[in-house]
Amino acid sequence: MADSIEAIHKAKKTYLLVFGALLVGTILTVLVATVPALDIGGHGFDIYDAILGLIIATTKSTLVAAIFMHLNHEKKLIYYVFFGAIFFFFAMGALFALSESSPIWDYNFYK
Amino acid sequence: MEIPYIVNPRKDTGLINSKIAIWLFLASEVMLFGGFFSAYVYLRMGADYPWPERTLPVLPGLINTFILIGSSVTVVFAWVALKLGNWRQFQVYMAITVACAAIFMVLKGIEYNVKFHHQAARLNDYTVVEGHLGYEKDSEGEYSLDRHGKKIEENMIRVVAEKLTFSVKRFHAPWVNEMLSEAKRNGSEIKLAADIKAITEEGGKEEPLAKAGDPLSLELLEKIKQTQIEALEHNAALRTDALRLEWKEAKEANPGKRGWQLASDVNIDMEALKPRLLSEVSSVEFTVDPPTLLLFKPRDIKESPTSSRLRDDTVIDGAMGASPMVFHNLDAIDFQWLVMKAKEKGISPEAAIADSWLMKKSEFVREAWAWHLARNEKRQAELTKDYGFKEDGKTPKRTLTHKELYRLGWKDLGEMGVEKQQVKISGFDKIKEEFKGPNYEARGEKTFPHISIPREEIRHAAKFTPAWNTYYAIYFTITGLHGLHVIGGALVLLYYLVFGRKMFLSNPEWFANRVEVGGLFWHFVDLVWIFAFPIFYLM
Repeated sequence: MADSIEAIHKAKKTYLLVFGALLVGTILTVLVATVPALDIGGHGFDIYDAILGLIIATTKSTLVAAIFMHLNHEKKLIYYVFFGAIFFFFAMGALFALSESSPIWDYNFYK
Repeated sequence: MEIPYIVNPRKDTGLINSKIAIWLFLASEVMLFGGFFSAYVYLRMGADYPWPERTLPVLPGLINTFILIGSSVTVVFAWVALKLGNWRQFQVYMAITVACAAIFMVLKGIEYNVKFHHQAARLNDYTVVEGHLGYEKDSEGEYSLDRHGKKIEENMIRVVAEKLTFSVKRFHAPWVNEMLSEAKRNGSEIKLAADIKAITEEGGKEEPLAKAGDPLSLELLEKIKQTQIEALEHNAALRTDALRLEWKEAKEANPGKRGWQLASDVNIDMEALKPRLLSEVSSVEFTVDPPTLLLFKPRDIKESPTSSRLRDDTVIDGAMGASPMVFHNLDAIDFQWLVMKAKEKGISPEAAIADSWLMKKSEFVREAWAWHLARNEKRQAELTKDYGFKEDGKTPKRTLTHKELYRLGWKDLGEMGVEKQQVKISGFDKIKEEFKGPNYEARGEKTFPHISIPREEIRHAAKFTPAWNTYYAIYFTITGLHGLHVIGGALVLLYYLVFGRKMFLSNPEWFANRVEVGGLFWHFVDLVWIFAFPIFYLM
């Protein structure tokens, strides 16, 4: 964490850079969704647009978490807590996904 | 009580306690929002209707994203100002942050408000019609008002009531009053259909409670309700006592047996109990003479051609009058769902659309659809020109989406109005439309016409609320919860701004730590929005 006055002033510059990056990211998200020439995959919304949109959003949120929330230089305990939650979020998603692929939904399974 | 380690870090963790606490809280928040976002994914994957993709206004969403990102920077700058010991600068940055939160909520409020007043109706053939309803007017052309003083939408169910049967326990007093005043206005009388007699004392004789011809009044219903409640309580107590006695006797007669072995033989002798029971009067019937017209909101009534039922179980016998849903301005025609259903049945989309009620009944819709088809042809030709064909040389690489093919939204209707009727609209009105939806005043009835839909053609109708579909349910859940976080976070930051001076002077380190913790929460709110914005507005 920035503690010396010099370091704090340096950090301020980083914050402004991140702010700029977030604005660019947001504009990019809107452009790829609204301008046909920038539309990847097929015409209109499809899985490629979803993936691209989520990649940009994840990049933006990583910047917020790393720089604004100081996760780029945090104590181990905080990493355990926060990334633990992220892990459990994906674990929950995986459980849902597994339940969706369960054979009971297969129409021909019991035939 | 003094909380330890809030200024200097604990040796083992290297952290101040409040920071660990906020991160634990944020971890739980990750799971909370994560759960809802998962719900969104599965609702969308499992939706049995055309998911409303890219349906929300992008501009206000985009502005809100900028605002939240900006406030994330200002909150961190406020913390930096405290680290540098600059109170004045802290005040400025924190005030900007709170102002950003306020603007965010105002924009969100406008967005919600538009949804709450925008009506949608799904017809029997799965055509979806959207727009704004008109309001009921009286014979002098003035707007009719309900008992709350609000204008009544032209979406009422009309019943010519001949007979009213009230549920004694459940009748809703304001509705009874409304029926009374409506009957009075129309010169009708509501009278009791038959004598009501009841035994009101144990072992007593039947006594008249009310006579046939007694006028309907709340007092009368309350009196019968009271008698009914007393009778129910009395009879229930008698039955319980009798049952207890039966059990006692059964157990004494069969000492070795368990309860479940005796249960089938333990019964109350209702015949023996009958002389002691009080009369239960569960419903009372009134006649309306002459039959009078009553109006009900669709949500309050389950209508039928001859006998309708209100939410309070009042049964209204009488013919249902014409009760159309009157769109003062129609602003979208959507055949997406109809086409989906048609394809399932192997019917061609064109045939299904041509056969739909809306196409058959509305000249405007036929014209609009013809314009839409011609425009789609041009759009497809452009796509083919730009991107060419697939390897087979026949199939275009890019084709119009299901939504583009089968939905005429308000922007499309606006475009048609400009093209066909030369409707002119100012730049300011156009920007207003980006926030508040179609501008009926500016574009007029030529673009957004009047349409009346008979009640029997409507399968489901709602405002754009969770009642409309699962998309709006999850949209309001996630954005509403996020909005509450914005309000909560802003209040905490405002508290620092208003009441922080004293603490800043006495213990600046502690205060800076507090602001850092508040700031962490605020960044998290921003983080959620970074995902919510593309998911709801752009996908």
